[in-house]
Amino acid sequence: MTDILFSAFLLSVVLLGIHSFFGIEIIKRGIIFTDLAIGQMAALGAGISILFFDGQYLYPLSLVFALFGGSLIAFASKRANSHEAFIGLLYAFGLSGVFIVLSKSYHGMETFQKLMASDILFTPLEEILKTAVIYSALGLFLFLVYGKSTGVVRDLIFFVTFAITVTSSVRLAGVLVVFALLVAPALAALKIQKGIQLINAWVIGVVINLLSIIVSYNFDFPTGYTLVFFHALLALVVSVAPVGRRKEIRPGT
Amino acid sequence: MKCLLLLLTLVSVSHAVSGPPLRVAAAYPYIADLVEKIGQRNVRVWALARGDYNPHVIIPRPSFIAHVRRADLLVISGAQLEIGWLPPILRQANNPYVQPGERGFLDLSRYVTLIDVPASVSREQGDIHPEGNPHFYLDPYNIPLLAKAIAEKLCEIDPSDALYYRSNLDEFVQRWNEKTKEWREKMKQLEQVAVVEYHKNYDYFLRRFGLPIVGTVEPLPGIPPTSKHIEHLESILESHRAQFILQDVYNPDDASRYLANKLGMKLIVLPHDVGAVRGVDDIFSLFDEIVRRLTQ
Repeated sequence: MTDILFSAFLLSVVLLGIHSFFGIEIIKRGIIFTDLAIGQMAALGAGISILFFDGQYLYPLSLVFALFGGSLIAFASKRANSHEAFIGLLYAFGLSGVFIVLSKSYHGMETFQKLMASDILFTPLEEILKTAVIYSALGLFLFLVYGKSTGVVRDLIFFVTFAITVTSSVRLAGVLVVFALLVAPALAALKIQKGIQLINAWVIGVVINLLSIIVSYNFDFPTGYTLVFFHALLALVVSVAPVGRRKEIRPGT
Repeated sequence: MKCLLLLLTLVSVSHAVSGPPLRVAAAYPYIADLVEKIGQRNVRVWALARGDYNPHVIIPRPSFIAHVRRADLLVISGAQLEIGWLPPILRQANNPYVQPGERGFLDLSRYVTLIDVPASVSREQGDIHPEGNPHFYLDPYNIPLLAKAIAEKLCEIDPSDALYYRSNLDEFVQRWNEKTKEWREKMKQLEQVAVVEYHKNYDYFLRRFGLPIVGTVEPLPGIPPTSKHIEHLESILESHRAQFILQDVYNPDDASRYLANKLGMKLIVLPHDVGAVRGVDDIFSLFDEIVRRLTQ
Protein backbone atom coordinates (compact mmCIF):
# COMPACT_ATOMS: atom_id res chain seq x y z
CA MET A 1 0.00 0.00 0.00
CA THR A 2 2.90 2.36 0.65
CA ASP A 3 3.43 2.85 -3.09
CA ILE A 4 -0.14 4.11 -3.57
CA LEU A 5 0.08 6.41 -0.57
CA PHE A 6 3.49 7.60 -1.67
CA SER A 7 2.05 8.50 -5.10
CA ALA A 8 -0.81 10.39 -3.48
CA PHE A 9 1.61 12.21 -1.20
CA LEU A 10 3.96 13.00 -4.08
CA LEU A 11 1.07 14.39 -6.14
CA SER A 12 -0.09 16.55 -3.23
CA VAL A 13 3.45 17.94 -2.89
CA VAL A 14 3.81 18.58 -6.64
CA LEU A 15 0.50 20.44 -6.64
CA LEU A 16 1.41 22.32 -3.49
CA GLY A 17 4.61 23.68 -5.08
CA ILE A 18 2.99 25.84 -7.73
CA HIS A 19 -0.39 26.34 -6.07
CA SER A 20 1.15 27.94 -2.99
CA PHE A 21 2.58 30.63 -5.22
CA PHE A 22 -0.78 31.23 -6.88
CA GLY A 23 -2.51 31.01 -3.49
CA ILE A 24 -0.43 33.79 -1.98
CA GLU A 25 -1.03 35.92 -5.08
CA ILE A 26 -4.81 35.46 -5.20
CA ILE A 27 -5.19 36.14 -1.48
CA LYS A 28 -3.20 39.34 -1.88
CA ARG A 29 -5.26 40.29 -4.93
CA GLY A 30 -8.46 39.44 -3.08
CA ILE A 31 -9.73 37.08 -5.80
CA ILE A 32 -9.79 33.85 -3.86
CA PHE A 33 -12.61 32.17 -5.72
CA THR A 34 -10.88 32.64 -9.05
CA ASP A 35 -9.68 29.06 -8.79
CA LEU A 36 -13.17 27.64 -8.37
CA ALA A 37 -14.54 29.84 -11.15
CA ILE A 38 -11.77 28.86 -13.59
CA GLY A 39 -12.04 25.19 -12.54
CA GLN A 40 -15.76 25.28 -13.17
CA MET A 41 -15.30 26.89 -16.57
CA ALA A 42 -12.84 24.11 -17.42
CA ALA A 43 -15.51 21.63 -16.32
CA LEU A 44 -18.02 23.30 -18.62
CA GLY A 45 -15.56 22.81 -21.49
CA ALA A 46 -15.31 19.13 -20.51
CA GLY A 47 -19.13 18.84 -20.43
CA ILE A 48 -19.38 20.28 -23.93
CA SER A 49 -16.75 17.83 -25.14
CA ILE A 50 -18.81 14.94 -23.66
CA LEU A 51 -22.08 16.07 -25.21
CA PHE A 52 -20.89 17.01 -28.69
CA PHE A 53 -17.61 15.16 -29.22
CA ASP A 54 -18.05 11.97 -27.19
CA GLY A 55 -15.41 13.10 -24.71
CA GLN A 56 -12.84 13.89 -27.40
CA TYR A 57 -10.90 17.16 -27.27
CA LEU A 58 -11.61 17.21 -23.53
CA TYR A 59 -8.36 18.84 -22.51
CA PRO A 60 -8.17 21.50 -25.27
CA LEU A 61 -11.83 22.45 -24.75
CA SER A 62 -11.37 22.67 -20.97
CA LEU A 63 -8.30 24.79 -21.47
CA VAL A 64 -10.04 27.17 -23.89
CA PHE A 65 -12.89 27.66 -21.41
CA ALA A 66 -10.47 28.07 -18.50
CA LEU A 67 -8.45 30.66 -20.41
CA PHE A 68 -11.65 32.47 -21.38
CA GLY A 69 -12.76 32.50 -17.72
CA GLY A 70 -9.32 33.63 -16.58
CA SER A 71 -9.19 36.53 -19.01
CA LEU A 72 -12.72 37.60 -18.08
CA ILE A 73 -11.64 37.76 -14.44
CA ALA A 74 -8.45 39.63 -15.34
CA PHE A 75 -10.58 42.13 -17.22
CA ALA A 76 -13.25 42.43 -14.52
CA SER A 77 -10.80 42.77 -11.63
CA LYS A 78 -9.48 45.93 -13.28
CA ARG A 79 -12.90 47.36 -14.08
CA ALA A 80 -15.50 46.49 -11.52
CA ASN A 81 -15.29 47.21 -7.80
CA SER A 82 -17.33 44.16 -6.96
CA HIS A 83 -15.12 41.67 -8.73
CA GLU A 84 -15.66 38.99 -6.04
CA ALA A 85 -19.35 39.03 -6.95
CA PHE A 86 -18.41 38.65 -10.60
CA ILE A 87 -16.10 35.71 -9.84
CA GLY A 88 -18.81 34.04 -7.75
CA LEU A 89 -21.29 34.42 -10.58
CA LEU A 90 -18.82 33.05 -13.10
CA TYR A 91 -18.58 29.97 -10.89
CA ALA A 92 -22.38 29.68 -10.77
CA PHE A 93 -22.46 30.15 -14.55
CA GLY A 94 -19.99 27.32 -15.11
CA LEU A 95 -21.70 24.99 -12.63
CA SER A 96 -25.21 25.50 -13.95
CA GLY A 97 -23.85 25.27 -17.50
CA VAL A 98 -22.44 21.82 -16.76
CA PHE A 99 -25.82 20.62 -15.46
CA ILE A 100 -27.68 22.03 -18.45
CA VAL A 101 -25.24 20.55 -20.96
CA LEU A 102 -25.20 17.13 -19.29
CA SER A 103 -28.98 16.99 -18.90
CA LYS A 104 -29.08 15.92 -22.54
CA SER A 105 -26.65 13.05 -22.14
CA TYR A 106 -27.68 9.68 -20.59
CA HIS A 107 -25.61 9.00 -17.49
CA GLY A 108 -23.65 12.07 -18.55
CA MET A 109 -22.87 12.90 -14.95
CA GLU A 110 -21.12 9.57 -14.47
CA THR A 111 -19.09 10.00 -17.63
CA PHE A 112 -18.30 13.49 -16.50
CA GLN A 113 -17.08 12.34 -13.11
CA LYS A 114 -15.08 9.56 -14.69
CA LEU A 115 -13.39 11.82 -17.22
CA MET A 116 -12.70 14.52 -14.69
CA ALA A 117 -10.92 11.73 -12.74
CA SER A 118 -10.73 13.71 -9.53
CA ASP A 119 -9.37 11.24 -7.06
CA ILE A 120 -5.92 11.78 -5.72
CA LEU A 121 -5.51 8.05 -5.03
CA PHE A 122 -5.69 7.07 -8.66
CA THR A 123 -3.15 9.19 -10.49
CA PRO A 124 -0.44 6.97 -12.00
CA LEU A 125 3.14 7.74 -11.05
CA GLU A 126 4.18 8.61 -14.64
CA GLU A 127 1.45 11.24 -14.76
CA ILE A 128 2.66 12.73 -11.48
CA LEU A 129 6.26 12.90 -12.68
CA LYS A 130 5.17 14.48 -15.97
CA THR A 131 3.19 17.07 -14.03
CA ALA A 132 6.19 17.72 -11.76
CA VAL A 133 8.35 18.53 -14.79
CA ILE A 134 5.71 20.78 -16.39
CA TYR A 135 4.98 22.65 -13.16
CA SER A 136 8.68 23.13 -12.41
CA ALA A 137 9.13 24.69 -15.85
CA LEU A 138 6.08 26.87 -15.30
CA GLY A 139 7.35 27.84 -11.85
CA LEU A 140 10.78 28.73 -13.24
CA PHE A 141 9.14 30.84 -15.93
CA LEU A 142 7.06 32.67 -13.33
CA PHE A 143 10.12 33.15 -11.11
CA LEU A 144 12.11 34.69 -13.96
CA VAL A 145 9.44 36.71 -15.74
CA TYR A 146 6.50 37.44 -13.44
CA GLY A 147 8.43 39.51 -10.85
CA LYS A 148 9.86 41.80 -13.52
CA SER A 149 6.69 42.39 -15.51
CA THR A 150 4.18 45.13 -14.83
CA GLY A 151 0.63 46.21 -15.66
CA VAL A 152 -1.43 44.34 -18.23
CA VAL A 153 1.39 41.96 -19.19
CA ARG A 154 1.76 40.94 -15.55
CA ASP A 155 -1.95 40.25 -15.23
CA LEU A 156 -2.01 38.38 -18.50
CA ILE A 157 0.93 36.16 -17.49
CA PHE A 158 -0.70 35.51 -14.15
CA PHE A 159 -4.14 34.52 -15.41
CA VAL A 160 -2.89 32.47 -18.37
CA THR A 161 -0.47 30.40 -16.27
CA PHE A 162 -3.09 30.10 -13.54
CA ALA A 163 -5.72 28.84 -15.97
CA ILE A 164 -3.33 26.25 -17.42
CA THR A 165 -2.34 25.06 -13.95
CA VAL A 166 -5.88 24.82 -12.60
CA THR A 167 -7.11 22.90 -15.67
CA SER A 168 -4.33 20.32 -15.34
CA SER A 169 -4.50 20.03 -11.55
CA VAL A 170 -8.26 19.59 -11.38
CA ARG A 171 -7.98 16.62 -13.73
CA LEU A 172 -5.48 14.99 -11.41
CA ALA A 173 -6.87 15.73 -7.98
CA GLY A 174 -10.36 17.21 -8.29
CA VAL A 175 -11.72 20.72 -7.74
CA LEU A 176 -11.86 20.67 -3.93
CA VAL A 177 -8.37 19.29 -3.32
CA VAL A 178 -6.88 21.88 -5.65
CA PHE A 179 -8.78 24.67 -3.94
CA ALA A 180 -7.64 23.54 -0.48
CA LEU A 181 -3.98 23.24 -1.51
CA LEU A 182 -4.18 26.62 -3.15
CA VAL A 183 -5.67 28.64 -0.32
CA ALA A 184 -5.00 26.98 3.05
CA PRO A 185 -1.17 26.83 3.17
CA ALA A 186 -0.98 30.31 1.61
CA LEU A 187 -3.37 31.72 4.19
CA ALA A 188 -1.35 30.21 7.02
CA ALA A 189 1.93 31.43 5.52
CA LEU A 190 0.63 34.98 5.23
CA LYS A 191 -0.09 34.95 8.97
CA ILE A 192 3.51 34.13 9.83
CA GLN A 193 5.72 37.18 10.10
CA LYS A 194 9.08 35.45 9.72
CA GLY A 195 10.85 33.96 6.72
CA ILE A 196 9.81 33.70 3.09
CA GLN A 197 6.08 33.28 2.59
CA LEU A 198 6.36 30.73 -0.22
CA ILE A 199 8.74 28.51 1.75
CA ASN A 200 6.49 28.70 4.81
CA ALA A 201 3.49 27.69 2.71
CA TRP A 202 5.42 24.72 1.35
CA VAL A 203 6.52 23.49 4.77
CA ILE A 204 3.04 23.86 6.27
CA GLY A 205 1.44 22.24 3.23
CA VAL A 206 3.77 19.23 3.19
CA VAL A 207 3.13 18.58 6.90
CA ILE A 208 -0.64 18.76 6.44
CA ASN A 209 -0.49 16.57 3.32
CA LEU A 210 1.51 13.91 5.14
CA LEU A 211 -0.81 14.00 8.14
CA SER A 212 -3.93 13.76 5.93
CA ILE A 213 -2.65 10.80 3.96
CA ILE A 214 -1.63 8.90 7.09
CA VAL A 215 -5.01 9.57 8.72
CA SER A 216 -6.86 8.64 5.52
CA TYR A 217 -5.03 5.32 5.38
CA ASN A 218 -5.34 4.43 9.06
CA PHE A 219 -9.01 5.28 9.37
CA ASP A 220 -9.88 4.36 5.78
CA PHE A 221 -11.35 7.76 4.90
CA PRO A 222 -11.61 8.97 1.27
CA THR A 223 -8.16 10.46 0.68
CA GLY A 224 -9.17 13.59 -1.22
CA TYR A 225 -11.78 14.65 1.32
CA THR A 226 -9.42 13.99 4.24
CA LEU A 227 -6.85 16.26 2.63
CA VAL A 228 -9.43 19.01 2.12
CA PHE A 229 -10.68 18.58 5.69
CA PHE A 230 -7.27 19.01 7.33
CA HIS A 231 -6.32 21.94 5.12
CA ALA A 232 -9.60 23.66 5.94
CA LEU A 233 -9.09 22.85 9.63
CA LEU A 234 -5.62 24.42 9.45
CA ALA A 235 -7.14 27.57 7.97
CA LEU A 236 -9.78 27.68 10.70
CA VAL A 237 -7.18 27.30 13.46
CA VAL A 238 -4.89 29.89 11.92
CA SER A 239 -7.66 32.43 11.49
CA VAL A 240 -8.52 32.38 15.21
CA ALA A 241 -4.92 32.00 16.45
CA PRO A 242 -3.39 35.12 18.04
CA VAL A 243 -0.22 35.11 15.87
CA GLY A 244 -0.02 37.73 13.18
CA ARG A 245 -2.95 39.80 14.44
CA ARG A 246 -1.01 43.01 14.08
CA LYS A 247 -0.71 42.84 10.34
CA GLU A 248 -4.08 42.04 8.83
CA ILE A 249 -4.24 40.83 5.26
CA ARG A 250 -6.03 43.51 3.34
CA PRO A 251 -7.94 42.39 0.29
CA GLY A 252 -7.24 44.17 -2.94
CA THR A 253 -3.67 45.15 -2.22
CA MET B 1 -3.24 -23.80 29.07
CA LYS B 2 -4.25 -27.27 27.99
CA CYS B 3 -7.36 -25.83 26.47
CA LEU B 4 -5.32 -23.30 24.56
CA LEU B 5 -2.98 -25.96 23.25
CA LEU B 6 -5.87 -28.08 22.19
CA LEU B 7 -7.41 -25.11 20.44
CA LEU B 8 -4.16 -24.32 18.67
CA THR B 9 -3.83 -27.90 17.53
CA LEU B 10 -7.38 -27.90 16.26
CA VAL B 11 -6.85 -24.66 14.39
CA SER B 12 -3.66 -25.85 12.77
CA VAL B 13 -5.24 -29.17 11.84
CA SER B 14 -8.23 -27.54 10.19
CA HIS B 15 -5.81 -25.21 8.46
CA ALA B 16 -3.81 -28.09 7.13
CA VAL B 17 -6.95 -29.67 5.75
CA SER B 18 -8.49 -26.74 3.92
CA GLY B 19 -5.65 -24.23 3.57
CA PRO B 20 -5.96 -20.52 4.29
CA PRO B 21 -9.30 -18.97 3.34
CA LEU B 22 -9.61 -17.51 -0.14
CA ARG B 23 -9.61 -13.74 -0.07
CA VAL B 24 -12.50 -12.40 -2.11
CA ALA B 25 -13.24 -8.77 -2.98
CA ALA B 26 -16.88 -8.18 -3.96
CA ALA B 27 -17.99 -4.99 -5.69
CA TYR B 28 -21.33 -4.80 -3.84
CA PRO B 29 -22.71 -6.21 -0.56
CA TYR B 30 -25.19 -8.55 -2.28
CA ILE B 31 -22.25 -10.24 -4.02
CA ALA B 32 -20.31 -10.48 -0.76
CA ASP B 33 -23.30 -12.19 0.85
CA LEU B 34 -23.66 -14.70 -1.99
CA VAL B 35 -19.95 -15.54 -1.90
CA GLU B 36 -20.14 -16.05 1.87
CA LYS B 37 -23.15 -18.31 1.51
CA ILE B 38 -21.38 -20.53 -1.06
CA GLY B 39 -17.81 -20.34 0.27
CA GLN B 40 -18.69 -20.22 3.99
CA ARG B 41 -15.66 -21.09 6.13
CA ASN B 42 -13.35 -21.27 3.10
CA VAL B 43 -13.61 -17.60 2.15
CA ARG B 44 -12.93 -14.18 3.62
CA VAL B 45 -15.01 -11.62 1.79
CA TRP B 46 -14.85 -7.85 1.65
CA ALA B 47 -17.61 -5.80 0.05
CA LEU B 48 -16.14 -2.67 -1.51
CA ALA B 49 -19.20 -0.44 -2.02
CA ARG B 50 -21.79 0.15 0.68
CA GLY B 51 -25.34 -0.98 0.07
CA ASP B 52 -27.00 2.33 0.92
CA TYR B 53 -25.12 4.35 -1.71
CA ASN B 54 -25.86 4.95 -5.35
CA PRO B 55 -24.21 1.90 -6.95
CA HIS B 56 -23.22 3.96 -10.01
CA VAL B 57 -21.31 6.52 -7.97
CA ILE B 58 -19.04 5.16 -5.24
CA ILE B 59 -16.46 7.32 -3.46
CA PRO B 60 -13.32 5.19 -3.23
CA ARG B 61 -11.35 4.73 -0.02
CA PRO B 62 -7.75 3.51 0.38
CA SER B 63 -8.94 0.10 1.66
CA PHE B 64 -10.59 -0.62 -1.73
CA ILE B 65 -7.15 -0.76 -3.31
CA ALA B 66 -5.77 -2.82 -0.42
CA HIS B 67 -8.57 -5.42 -0.67
CA VAL B 68 -8.33 -5.76 -4.45
CA ARG B 69 -4.55 -5.99 -4.23
CA ARG B 70 -4.65 -8.86 -1.73
CA ALA B 71 -7.60 -10.66 -3.33
CA ASP B 72 -7.50 -14.16 -4.81
CA LEU B 73 -10.82 -13.42 -6.47
CA LEU B 74 -12.66 -10.26 -7.50
CA VAL B 75 -16.38 -10.59 -8.20
CA ILE B 76 -18.14 -7.72 -9.95
CA SER B 77 -21.76 -7.22 -10.89
CA GLY B 78 -20.79 -6.07 -14.37
CA ALA B 79 -22.86 -4.68 -17.26
CA GLN B 80 -20.94 -1.48 -16.61
CA LEU B 81 -22.51 -0.79 -13.21
CA GLU B 82 -18.99 -0.29 -11.79
CA ILE B 83 -17.65 1.65 -14.77
CA GLY B 84 -17.64 4.94 -12.87
CA TRP B 85 -15.48 3.79 -9.96
CA LEU B 86 -13.85 0.37 -10.25
CA PRO B 87 -11.44 0.69 -13.24
CA PRO B 88 -8.96 3.04 -11.50
CA ILE B 89 -9.01 0.84 -8.39
CA LEU B 90 -8.27 -2.24 -10.49
CA ARG B 91 -5.41 -0.40 -12.17
CA GLN B 92 -3.88 0.96 -8.97
CA ALA B 93 -4.25 -2.34 -7.12
CA ASN B 94 -1.97 -3.85 -9.76
CA ASN B 95 -3.00 -7.43 -8.92
CA PRO B 96 -2.44 -9.55 -12.06
CA TYR B 97 -4.63 -12.43 -10.80
CA VAL B 98 -7.89 -10.49 -10.68
CA GLN B 99 -7.71 -8.52 -13.93
CA PRO B 100 -10.65 -9.02 -16.37
CA GLY B 101 -10.23 -12.30 -18.23
CA GLU B 102 -7.95 -13.82 -15.59
CA ARG B 103 -8.85 -16.75 -13.37
CA GLY B 104 -9.42 -14.57 -10.30
CA PHE B 105 -12.03 -12.38 -11.97
CA LEU B 106 -15.76 -13.03 -12.18
CA ASP B 107 -18.32 -10.83 -13.95
CA LEU B 108 -21.78 -11.93 -12.81
CA SER B 109 -23.66 -10.14 -15.61
CA ARG B 110 -22.35 -12.78 -18.04
CA TYR B 111 -24.55 -15.43 -16.45
CA VAL B 112 -27.96 -13.81 -16.86
CA THR B 113 -30.01 -12.41 -19.71
CA LEU B 114 -30.00 -8.63 -19.64
CA ILE B 115 -32.99 -6.51 -20.63
CA ASP B 116 -33.08 -3.15 -22.43
CA VAL B 117 -30.02 -3.98 -24.51
CA PRO B 118 -29.86 -1.19 -27.09
CA ALA B 119 -30.01 -2.38 -30.71
CA SER B 120 -27.45 0.20 -31.74
CA VAL B 121 -25.12 2.17 -29.57
CA SER B 122 -25.07 5.89 -30.21
CA ARG B 123 -24.65 8.84 -27.94
CA GLU B 124 -28.16 10.26 -28.39
CA GLN B 125 -29.77 6.92 -27.64
CA GLY B 126 -27.86 6.66 -24.41
CA ASP B 127 -24.99 4.31 -24.46
CA ILE B 128 -23.59 4.41 -21.01
CA HIS B 129 -25.02 0.97 -20.33
CA PRO B 130 -24.64 -0.47 -23.84
CA GLU B 131 -24.80 -3.98 -22.36
CA GLY B 132 -28.31 -3.43 -20.99
CA ASN B 133 -29.93 -2.66 -17.64
CA PRO B 134 -27.35 -3.58 -14.96
CA HIS B 135 -29.79 -4.06 -12.05
CA PHE B 136 -30.39 -7.74 -12.93
CA TYR B 137 -29.74 -9.03 -9.40
CA LEU B 138 -33.12 -7.72 -8.25
CA ASP B 139 -34.88 -10.56 -10.10
CA PRO B 140 -35.07 -13.41 -7.56
CA TYR B 141 -34.98 -15.92 -10.43
CA ASN B 142 -31.53 -14.65 -11.40
CA ILE B 143 -30.02 -15.22 -7.96
CA PRO B 144 -29.54 -19.03 -8.32
CA LEU B 145 -27.75 -18.40 -11.63
CA LEU B 146 -25.40 -15.98 -9.90
CA ALA B 147 -24.88 -18.36 -6.98
CA LYS B 148 -24.02 -21.13 -9.43
CA ALA B 149 -21.52 -18.92 -11.28
CA ILE B 150 -19.85 -18.11 -7.95
CA ALA B 151 -19.76 -21.79 -6.93
CA GLU B 152 -18.21 -22.79 -10.27
CA LYS B 153 -15.58 -20.09 -9.91
CA LEU B 154 -14.70 -21.18 -6.36
CA CYS B 155 -14.39 -24.78 -7.60
CA GLU B 156 -12.07 -23.60 -10.37
CA ILE B 157 -9.79 -21.69 -8.02
CA ASP B 158 -9.91 -24.21 -5.19
CA PRO B 159 -10.73 -27.61 -6.77
CA SER B 160 -9.79 -29.56 -3.63
CA ASP B 161 -12.97 -28.34 -1.93
CA ALA B 162 -15.27 -28.53 -4.95
CA LEU B 163 -17.67 -30.91 -3.22
CA TYR B 164 -18.05 -28.52 -0.32
CA TYR B 165 -18.93 -25.58 -2.60
CA ARG B 166 -21.38 -27.65 -4.63
CA SER B 167 -23.20 -28.92 -1.55
CA ASN B 168 -23.38 -25.35 -0.17
CA LEU B 169 -24.80 -24.26 -3.52
CA ASP B 170 -27.43 -27.01 -3.52
CA GLU B 171 -28.46 -26.11 0.00
CA PHE B 172 -28.66 -22.41 -0.88
CA VAL B 173 -30.63 -22.95 -4.09
CA GLN B 174 -33.11 -25.22 -2.34
CA ARG B 175 -33.75 -22.66 0.38
CA TRP B 176 -33.90 -19.90 -2.23
CA ASN B 177 -36.48 -21.72 -4.35
CA GLU B 178 -38.72 -22.18 -1.32
CA LYS B 179 -38.49 -18.48 -0.50
CA THR B 180 -39.14 -17.57 -4.14
CA LYS B 181 -42.40 -19.53 -4.05
CA GLU B 182 -43.39 -17.59 -0.97
CA TRP B 183 -42.56 -14.23 -2.64
CA ARG B 184 -44.39 -15.26 -5.80
CA GLU B 185 -47.47 -16.10 -3.72
CA LYS B 186 -47.41 -12.74 -1.97
CA MET B 187 -46.80 -10.78 -5.18
CA LYS B 188 -49.82 -12.33 -6.93
CA GLN B 189 -52.14 -9.72 -5.47
CA LEU B 190 -50.15 -7.00 -7.28
CA GLU B 191 -50.26 -8.51 -10.76
CA GLN B 192 -51.17 -5.90 -13.39
CA VAL B 193 -50.83 -3.06 -10.87
CA ALA B 194 -49.19 -0.20 -12.79
CA VAL B 195 -46.22 1.46 -11.13
CA VAL B 196 -43.67 4.17 -11.82
CA GLU B 197 -40.06 4.09 -10.58
CA TYR B 198 -37.54 6.84 -10.03
CA HIS B 199 -34.65 5.03 -11.73
CA LYS B 200 -34.77 1.82 -13.76
CA ASN B 201 -33.69 -0.06 -10.64
CA TYR B 202 -36.51 -2.58 -10.26
CA ASP B 203 -37.33 -3.43 -13.90
CA TYR B 204 -36.24 -7.06 -13.54
CA PHE B 205 -38.27 -7.56 -10.37
CA LEU B 206 -41.39 -5.83 -11.68
CA ARG B 207 -41.33 -7.63 -15.01
CA ARG B 208 -40.94 -10.95 -13.25
CA PHE B 209 -44.05 -10.41 -11.14
CA GLY B 210 -46.13 -8.77 -13.85
CA LEU B 211 -46.30 -5.17 -12.69
CA PRO B 212 -46.36 -2.86 -15.74
CA ILE B 213 -43.89 0.06 -15.49
CA VAL B 214 -45.54 3.13 -17.02
CA GLY B 215 -42.65 5.56 -16.62
CA THR B 216 -39.67 6.78 -14.66
CA VAL B 217 -39.42 9.97 -12.62
CA GLU B 218 -36.01 10.57 -14.19
CA PRO B 219 -36.37 11.75 -17.81
CA LEU B 220 -33.24 9.74 -18.71
CA PRO B 221 -31.17 7.40 -16.54
CA GLY B 222 -29.01 9.47 -14.24
CA ILE B 223 -30.62 12.81 -15.15
CA PRO B 224 -32.60 14.67 -12.44
CA PRO B 225 -36.31 15.26 -13.21
CA THR B 226 -37.23 18.34 -15.26
CA SER B 227 -40.52 20.25 -15.04
CA LYS B 228 -41.61 19.32 -18.55
CA HIS B 229 -40.98 15.64 -17.90
CA ILE B 230 -42.93 15.68 -14.62
CA GLU B 231 -45.86 17.36 -16.41
CA HIS B 232 -45.75 14.69 -19.10
CA LEU B 233 -45.48 11.94 -16.48
CA GLU B 234 -48.54 13.27 -14.60
CA SER B 235 -50.77 12.76 -17.60
CA ILE B 236 -49.39 9.26 -18.20
CA LEU B 237 -49.89 8.27 -14.57
CA GLU B 238 -53.48 9.49 -14.57
CA SER B 239 -54.42 7.65 -17.73
CA HIS B 240 -52.75 4.43 -16.59
CA ARG B 241 -54.02 4.67 -13.03
CA ALA B 242 -50.59 3.89 -11.63
CA GLN B 243 -50.74 3.10 -7.92
CA PHE B 244 -47.19 3.18 -6.63
CA ILE B 245 -44.12 5.33 -7.07
CA LEU B 246 -41.03 3.28 -6.29
CA GLN B 247 -38.10 5.23 -4.93
CA ASP B 248 -34.61 4.05 -4.09
CA VAL B 249 -32.83 5.11 -0.89
CA TYR B 250 -30.14 7.31 -2.44
CA ASN B 251 -31.84 9.59 -4.99
CA PRO B 252 -33.66 12.75 -3.87
CA ASP B 253 -37.36 11.96 -3.40
CA ASP B 254 -38.83 15.47 -3.79
CA ALA B 255 -40.16 14.92 -7.32
CA SER B 256 -41.64 11.52 -6.36
CA ARG B 257 -43.18 13.01 -3.22
CA TYR B 258 -44.69 15.84 -5.26
CA LEU B 259 -46.27 13.38 -7.71
CA ALA B 260 -47.48 11.08 -4.94
CA ASN B 261 -49.20 13.94 -3.10
CA LYS B 262 -50.70 15.47 -6.18
CA LEU B 263 -52.07 12.27 -7.68
CA GLY B 264 -52.83 10.45 -4.43
CA MET B 265 -50.38 7.65 -5.17
CA LYS B 266 -48.40 5.68 -2.64
CA LEU B 267 -44.66 6.41 -2.43
CA ILE B 268 -42.69 3.28 -1.52
CA VAL B 269 -38.98 3.40 -0.74
CA LEU B 270 -37.37 0.09 -1.69
CA PRO B 271 -33.92 -1.26 -0.80
CA HIS B 272 -31.77 -2.08 -3.84
CA ASP B 273 -28.92 -3.95 -2.15
CA VAL B 274 -27.97 -5.67 1.09
CA GLY B 275 -27.52 -2.95 3.71
CA ALA B 276 -29.64 -0.34 1.90
CA VAL B 277 -32.11 -0.13 4.80
CA ARG B 278 -32.07 -1.34 8.38
CA GLY B 279 -32.81 -5.04 8.76
CA VAL B 280 -31.71 -5.98 5.26
CA ASP B 281 -28.53 -7.83 6.14
CA ASP B 282 -28.49 -10.62 3.59
CA ILE B 283 -29.87 -11.56 0.19
CA PHE B 284 -32.94 -13.28 1.71
CA SER B 285 -33.96 -10.32 3.84
CA LEU B 286 -33.38 -8.01 0.85
CA PHE B 287 -36.18 -9.69 -1.10
CA ASP B 288 -38.29 -10.26 2.03
CA GLU B 289 -38.18 -6.51 2.63
CA ILE B 290 -38.92 -5.55 -1.00
CA VAL B 291 -41.96 -7.84 -1.04
CA ARG B 292 -43.09 -6.70 2.43
CA ARG B 293 -42.91 -3.01 1.50
CA LEU B 294 -44.80 -3.57 -1.75
CA THR B 295 -47.56 -5.72 -0.30
CA GLN B 296 -48.23 -4.12 3.06
